[in-house]
Amino acid sequence: MGGVDPVSNIVRFLVILFLQVFIFRQVSLGWGGADYMFIFLGPLFIALIPLRTPRPLAVIFAFLFGISVDFFYETLGVHAAAATFCGYARQFALAILEPHDGYKVKASPDGKDLSLSWWLSYLAYLVAGYTIFYFSMEAFSPVFWKQITLKSLLTAPASLLLCVIMIAFLRPRI
Amino acid sequence: MEQILRILYNNSSFFTFAVLQLLCLYLIVNFNSPQNAIAAETASIFTGSIESATVKAEGYLNLDEENEIQRREIADLRSRLPESGYSTTVGIDSIEDQAYAQRFIHLTANVVNRSPYSPNNTLVIDRGTSQGVAIGQGVIGSKGLIGIVALPTENFSRVISVLHRSARVSAGLRNNAYGTLQWDGQDPRRMKMTDIAEYLTIAKGDTVFTTGFSNVFPTGQVIGTVESSEVQPGTGSQNLIIELINDPLHTNNAFVIRDLFKDELAKLKPLK
Repeated sequence: MGGVDPVSNIVRFLVILFLQVFIFRQVSLGWGGADYMFIFLGPLFIALIPLRTPRPLAVIFAFLFGISVDFFYETLGVHAAAATFCGYARQFALAILEPHDGYKVKASPDGKDLSLSWWLSYLAYLVAGYTIFYFSMEAFSPVFWKQITLKSLLTAPASLLLCVIMIAFLRPRI
Repeated sequence: MEQILRILYNNSSFFTFAVLQLLCLYLIVNFNSPQNAIAAETASIFTGSIESATVKAEGYLNLDEENEIQRREIADLRSRLPESGYSTTVGIDSIEDQAYAQRFIHLTANVVNRSPYSPNNTLVIDRGTSQGVAIGQGVIGSKGLIGIVALPTENFSRVISVLHRSARVSAGLRNNAYGTLQWDGQDPRRMKMTDIAEYLTIAKGDTVFTTGFSNVFPTGQVIGTVESSEVQPGTGSQNLIIELINDPLHTNNAFVIRDLFKDELAKLKPLK
């Protein structure tokens, strides 16, 4: 499950999808009849797509994950839009965080030679991109910017925390 | 061509992203009702602004035509000014009743003078005894009632408006309920209909017609619609507030109605 081979990636896809739609879908916090805090694991799957994957393919994989989540959330297209954006933004996060001597050619983002702080900032970028885009698409109009901001500010740290914890179990090892 | 392909290849992830994002937008708008509503609203705002801009532009294109229409209107109004002289042409129009015998004769008339607005309104029309106008003939507009002739002279007649506190008009509804229409001097848009039996159910918005019982107006002229009804305790009757279909105080074109059977019907007055 932690490897870079296709089977490991498919297993990871299914495990994260399962966790998202059967466990973390139940998790939501809020007040006054509205929920403001959710847990999204989509960024985790997108972060763990192997580095060698061609960029368009990474975008397509992200889209597939998002649309799968949508089928269970009954919000067809919203998660898919956020995941697609996140999959596209991944390459820029990687470019910003690239170590001085570059990534190892074979590697997926590899826990062994990349520090926890690197993982933290990498996931933070993706989680932030995912949540902001998701809530923008959910509200679908800039007039709801207050709700978008509030939901993003509450959801992003919670999702990031969960993603970092999950990394300990899913971190690919070569 | 090669350059285009190169650009496509170099930005392949972007194009994948763009295509998938468009697909997502399509799915969001078509399968999520709140987003669908927002999208429809936004689209209507955009199309609305474009439409109003085109209407404005078309308005300028039609300016010549509008100008011509206004000029004709002015010419028409000028010809109606007092200095254009007294019109001696008499247009006579007739309607036939169901027996196909001529009963009512309509005589075109113009309102030439009005009393200042008061609870007792009267007006003057430019038709008189020389055209056959007599006391008690009804005056109607192109829709609705105007009044009843009170004092005809040779060329003019004074008309008591229906908005006069002593004017009484027999009015009825489709369900054969009938009563007396009068004005209380308050609101020139509304009149009161009295003496309707209490047990009749009158719906708001019912049309009120002339009954023709008083031989002043032809049967079935629309007067207005029922606005509200109010039962009068102890009298067994109810009063209706009628919203008039026309504005009797500001109508210029009128028809004087002569009932050819009036004398015959007068012989059937109730026995004393």
